[in-house]
Amino acid sequence: MGTSCSLFAVQPSALALLKGELWVRSLAARLTRFDARSELSRLNAAAGKWTAVSSEMEALLRESLRAHERSGGLVNVAVLPSMLAVGYTRTLADGPTAATLELARSAPELPSVLEVMPGRARLEPDVGIDLGGIAKGWMADRLAERLGPNVLVNLGGDLRARGGGPEGAGWPVGFGDATILLAGRGAATSSVLRRRWAGGLHHLIDPRTGLPAASDLVEVSVVAATAVDAEVVAKAALIAGRASAPAYCAAHADAWRLVPA
Amino acid sequence: MQLRPLLLKAGATAVTLGATLVSALYVTAHVKNPSAPLQPSVLNISSSVQPSNVQPVTSTYAS
Repeated sequence: MGTSCSLFAVQPSALALLKGELWVRSLAARLTRFDARSELSRLNAAAGKWTAVSSEMEALLRESLRAHERSGGLVNVAVLPSMLAVGYTRTLADGPTAATLELARSAPELPSVLEVMPGRARLEPDVGIDLGGIAKGWMADRLAERLGPNVLVNLGGDLRARGGGPEGAGWPVGFGDATILLAGRGAATSSVLRRRWAGGLHHLIDPRTGLPAASDLVEVSVVAATAVDAEVVAKAALIAGRASAPAYCAAHADAWRLVPA
Repeated sequence: MQLRPLLLKAGATAVTLGATLVSALYVTAHVKNPSAPLQPSVLNISSSVQPSNVQPVTSTYAS
């Protein structure tokens, strides 16, 4: 996944934790866009044709459509052409490549370019998707369910807690400068302070413009019902900016932290 | 007789220029993070989430 993962559990089963780690590694390999052999890359390469997809990919595509709807289109996985145009063509460990911003374009409305049926999916021609943060949050939610009744999963900053933690009141987690008790909920952070490079470019694409989001917020953290919900709300709030973010977060989140530019 | 006011003016000008130069050098030398947020963050925690003073086991962050 190109990031770090941590699993915490009360009375953990070593075997369950090991299985959890293997599940993350296996699924991450299938969902990466940086490997031409991955399931996601094959789906993108087959744009225009129906393609068989795994149950996990099917669920993630449906989650992506739901995220698009819940965010009013601000969270749109069909921003891959723009991500490539800003130079995010390979892992940032290998560094960005030269930007070709003239190729950046606003993202199409996702429901008009992505069809999902049981066991298969179809992208419109010339459409590419990057599951990015949605995959991270979704995986944190699924992994917490798999690991047991009293666990905390952290997949690259996307958290999902189950149970009351070591003391029973919730898992103590950092939320900006504060500490909160997370119980039965998820948390996530979206930021333009990371994964940015020369020329003011960064990875967070505003689907309305196809360019890196020019928000007056630089970071948003959210607590919501699930990790993937928190991920979606945080990203949408950041792109929406200070004028809309408080009301949007109040409607969709249990806690939020907005960092102005 | 007119030398003293001239010296006072020259001295005041030198002090002003010196203070400006020292301030500029100080500010230039203390820029720690040009992209750091300049305003405090806004934190809102509803009653369904409990704050705590316990040491966190992990944190949410952007990766």
